[in-house]
Amino acid sequence: MTVGRNAAAWTALAVVALAMPWFLEDQGYPIRVLTLVLLFAAMAQAWNIVGGLANQISLGHAAFFGLGAYTSTLLLMRYGLSPWLGMLAAMALAAVVGGLLSLPTMRLRGHYFALATLAFGEVMRAIANTWASVTGGPVGISVPYSEGSFVLMQFSSSIPYYYLMLAALAVATVIFAAISRSKLGYRLRAVKANPQAAEVIGVDTVRTRIVASVISAGLMGGCGTLYAQFMFFFDPDTVFSLVGISVRVALICIIGGVGTAGGPIAGALIMIPLEEFFNSWLSGEGAGYSQLGYGLILILIILAEPRGLAALWARARRLAGGRHG
Amino acid sequence: MQFIQALVDGILLGGVYAVISIGLTLVFGVISIVNFAQGEFLMVGMFVAYFAWQSFGLDPLLGSLLSFAVAFALGVLVQKFLISRVLQAPPVAQIFLTVGLLIVMENLALILFGSQFRSVQTAYQMTAFRVGPLLLSAPYVFAFLVAAAAGMGLWWVLKKTWWGRAVRATAQDPMAARLAGIPTERMHQIAFGLGVGMTALGGGIILPYLTASTTVGAQFSVLMFTAVVLGGLGSVLGAVVGGIAVGVIQSLSALVLPIQLQNLALFAVFIAVLAMRPEGLLKRVSA
Repeated sequence: MTVGRNAAAWTALAVVALAMPWFLEDQGYPIRVLTLVLLFAAMAQAWNIVGGLANQISLGHAAFFGLGAYTSTLLLMRYGLSPWLGMLAAMALAAVVGGLLSLPTMRLRGHYFALATLAFGEVMRAIANTWASVTGGPVGISVPYSEGSFVLMQFSSSIPYYYLMLAALAVATVIFAAISRSKLGYRLRAVKANPQAAEVIGVDTVRTRIVASVISAGLMGGCGTLYAQFMFFFDPDTVFSLVGISVRVALICIIGGVGTAGGPIAGALIMIPLEEFFNSWLSGEGAGYSQLGYGLILILIILAEPRGLAALWARARRLAGGRHG
Repeated sequence: MQFIQALVDGILLGGVYAVISIGLTLVFGVISIVNFAQGEFLMVGMFVAYFAWQSFGLDPLLGSLLSFAVAFALGVLVQKFLISRVLQAPPVAQIFLTVGLLIVMENLALILFGSQFRSVQTAYQMTAFRVGPLLLSAPYVFAFLVAAAAGMGLWWVLKKTWWGRAVRATAQDPMAARLAGIPTERMHQIAFGLGVGMTALGGGIILPYLTASTTVGAQFSVLMFTAVVLGGLGSVLGAVVGGIAVGVIQSLSALVLPIQLQNLALFAVFIAVLAMRPEGLLKRVSA
């Protein structure tokens, strides 16, 4: 019944997103924020495949993100490989690592899965920090700069970056929607609802979860490359950040609505501009204030409605609709 | 000889990890919540001991008692106003509440104390005891001794006092404990306070050989989780064994592995244990 309305809403969203750069000043602040919104929405969508469909709360997705950023950048620096190919390599490597990590962790539930993935992200950060001969260590690395070159995925205008991130979000969303409607999606939901029962009726829960985490990690790796190309500079503590990446992408999903295709987009549209606002408002106050605000918001949301902001909205809607129903 | 030296160093370090991990396992054992912010209480303990040393010249080994007291009070408040509200909530809410607490504590510390590294100077900092062919670093030995004393003190409280028995009863069967007239909410607050207090005490006693910084919590989180998972989440004795095992693994892997792979070695152990006995982790024994 809502298919028609849904399709219309998605089409309208796509048209607005495609037309947006015409209304924004090139190189301006708004288009930069929107580009980040799109990138983080894509990352959150990747997280959504594991967190939303399989209900496994990963706190280590920064591992794949950082891996992707370093893979393509190092391939570019050392072998002059185009970041387009570097991105494929990054996705492949992140997917393999995601698959390997899921072998021992797929049976873990709730807190344990979160613990294991958090530890993995932190270990990757420690490795990137200490293995200076390869990664450049804590000082970080810069992507070699060139004056706008398509082959090197570098542009002098902000518009190509915008469309690049939009494409990444579109790919991630289409993959999420496809999985969610496919047999894999049904299996994941079955595993989410009741893993034992799913196993009894013949769902190969192990393979299902591995496939989901491979896809999710691969997408995240690709986003890492895009981030590196967009930012030009990054260090281990940024790309492997627990708070800045792993928690943030999970939180975007939770705020927008876990397990829905629109959730990560709504969540990123709320969170990223809000953070930017906090950052610019508090920039004079020194380090820590914006993240402090972030943590406080997180705690307040959970105390207000432990099931997340989406549930809070649903409750508000019920209250509003409850008057005549 | 190098091997035995590393083994002994590992045991000494591990004793401190044990006391830090006891805190985490106690919180899980009694309240059934994994406190992702546990490492931040270690950071609080380090700063309390540091400022006690800076302001009053108090040795960090004694200052660690102050660390315990401050963290205990903080823990009671956190349990009372935050954790108690999500005990019946889905895991997602519990995970993100303590993750939110982690973010708040780390950044509040950054705002209050700045990002510089702080260390103390003590008379015994550079001394070592010669035992046969072995050299035992004095700060390691003292930290180990205080850790052992604190561990035994906690064991005594849990085993012999009414409060300890009430906390254990709450862990085993909250409903029955309530029927027996035990104020279980109060017990949760005490357990959380004791748990984060032990970890903060651990933060105080490592100060003579480690520098304090606002990001030290994350550094110890993986260590702590590994130790606790090794010994079985919720088991105090398990945390002691796990803590010492982590110290030994860390110390021995330093002999054969380059520094960038040492964390990976620890993580490999962590994942292997999680993967091989995920059911063993659910075993909940307090003390």
